[in-house]
Order: sequence, then structure tokens, then C-alpha cells
Amino acid sequence: MQAHTHEEQMVTERSDRRAPNVDMTPMIDCVFLLIIFFMLATTFAPLPGIRVKLPPPGQPSREKPKGLILRISNPVGGSDEGVMILNNEIVSLDNAFGVFMNAAPEAKDMLIIQAGRQVVHDQIVKIMDRAKRAGVVKIGFAMVQ
Amino acid sequence: MKMSKSKSGSKMPQLPMEPLVDCVFLLLIFFMISNILKIPPPFTVDLPESKARSEFARKRYNIYIHESGQVSVDDVRMADLDAMFNYLLLKKKEIETLIIRADKNAEHGVVVDVMERAKQAEIDNLALAISEDDYKGM
Repeated sequence: MQAHTHEEQMVTERSDRRAPNVDMTPMIDCVFLLIIFFMLATTFAPLPGIRVKLPPPGQPSREKPKGLILRISNPVGGSDEGVMILNNEIVSLDNAFGVFMNAAPEAKDMLIIQAGRQVVHDQIVKIMDRAKRAGVVKIGFAMVQ
Repeated sequence: MKMSKSKSGSKMPQLPMEPLVDCVFLLLIFFMISNILKIPPPFTVDLPESKARSEFARKRYNIYIHESGQVSVDDVRMADLDAMFNYLLLKKKEIETLIIRADKNAEHGVVVDVMERAKQAEIDNLALAISEDDYKGM
């Protein structure tokens, strides 16, 4: 009897050392749940963007539109930025924020950007950023004919 | 004793409900994800940065514009703007806000063309996507 229990103890000890019988199922369940949770968390994170308005389709109205009109020329001569003109005065990305801030409050309702085809998208987004921060409500685009 | 046992057996075969509910929830979550999971575009797009930003829900049917002027809707490459217009017309019921993910070196002309076609397809809410990283400029 004594010898038997001794032997049994030996056996269990050895099998313990060789393969600790860990139940893997709950762990795998947990890991799968965590994976799904993080996948969800990233897909539900909102996407940052800037809302834009386009003028209604059809013939452009003859009357002068209200609001600010910013014209951007195509970049020329190796520079990657086009020249920007707001109300007959040249603005740069650096002073644009101040110019928008000083604009008349009723004009700040809408900014229309009229840019050449070759203007780089980055410049457009930068000027939209300045305008939005200066309190311009809507931003629209018009094509240079 | 015997009566009550057989009665409860015929009324409600004692099925364990918890694993079933677990499974159903997992499947539900799985299909919710797979529906809106980010679909990789056929090319990489380097979005411009901006401090001013609004937030939009992540949905299907985003437009990607490569710096070369190539356009794709999610992972479907569009041969030209007419193809994109037809595609948008088909899917316009499912598009609440059309998010345009244009590369920062893309030409403005292409972006405006895309916006015009979207307008023709009677999609009124448009947004230009910006980089999700924090703004580093001034």
C-alpha cells in the first residue's frame, strides 16, 4: 500500500513536469474576443475630413455670389504653389489666416475657391484649413474656365 | 413526481441557452465588422494634413485619388470618370457622405472633376479626407 502510493506520487510528479495540462480553450476564446474588440475599435474610430459644398448644378447665376472668392493660379516656374488672390490682393499661406479673420462677418459665410487644374491638392486643403479655423462656414469650389 | 418531470420535458427540452447566445453575439459582431472593414485601395494615398477637421463615420464607398490621377472606389479601379459616375449612380442610395481621399500631390482639377460627377449623381454631401495623424504644421 505504502509502495503503491509512493509510486503514484512519482508518476504524477513526472507527468506534471513533462506536460502541465493547461486548458487552452478559455484562453483562445479570450484572445479571439480581444482581436475582434480591437478590430471593432479601429473601424469605429471616426474618419477626419473637411466638408465641402459645390454650387448647384446648371447655369451659374449671373449675379455676383456673396462671400469670399479666392483664386489660385496654376503653379509656374518650378514652384509647387500657385499664386492666391483674394479680393484683388495676393495672400500667402502664412497670412491667409489673418486675412480671413479680418474679412467682413457676412462674407465669412462662404468661401469659393477657384483654382487652376494643376494646383496641388495639398495647397487647397491648407487654405481650407486656414479658412475653417478663421470661422468660414462653407467652402465651395468653382472651376476656372 | 414522474408526471411533472415528463411535462417539463415536453414543454421545454432543457437546452443550454448560454453557448447559443454567445455564438450569436459573436457572429453578429463578426458580420458588423466585415461589413465596414477597411477595404484596401489598389494604391497608397498620402492624405494632406489639416488642423481644422470634422469627423465622419467610416463606411464603404470612399473615393481614392492617386497622385497620378487614377481614381478608385474602395478597391475597384475606375477606368475613367464616366465609369466612376455610373458606379456612384448605382450605389448612391448607400452613400450618405461621399468621402474623397485624395493624395496631397494630386491635381486639383481631378479632385474637382470627381466632385462634379458626384454632384451629377445627386450625392450632395461631400468631404475631403485628411490625415488621421496629428497636425504638425503651423
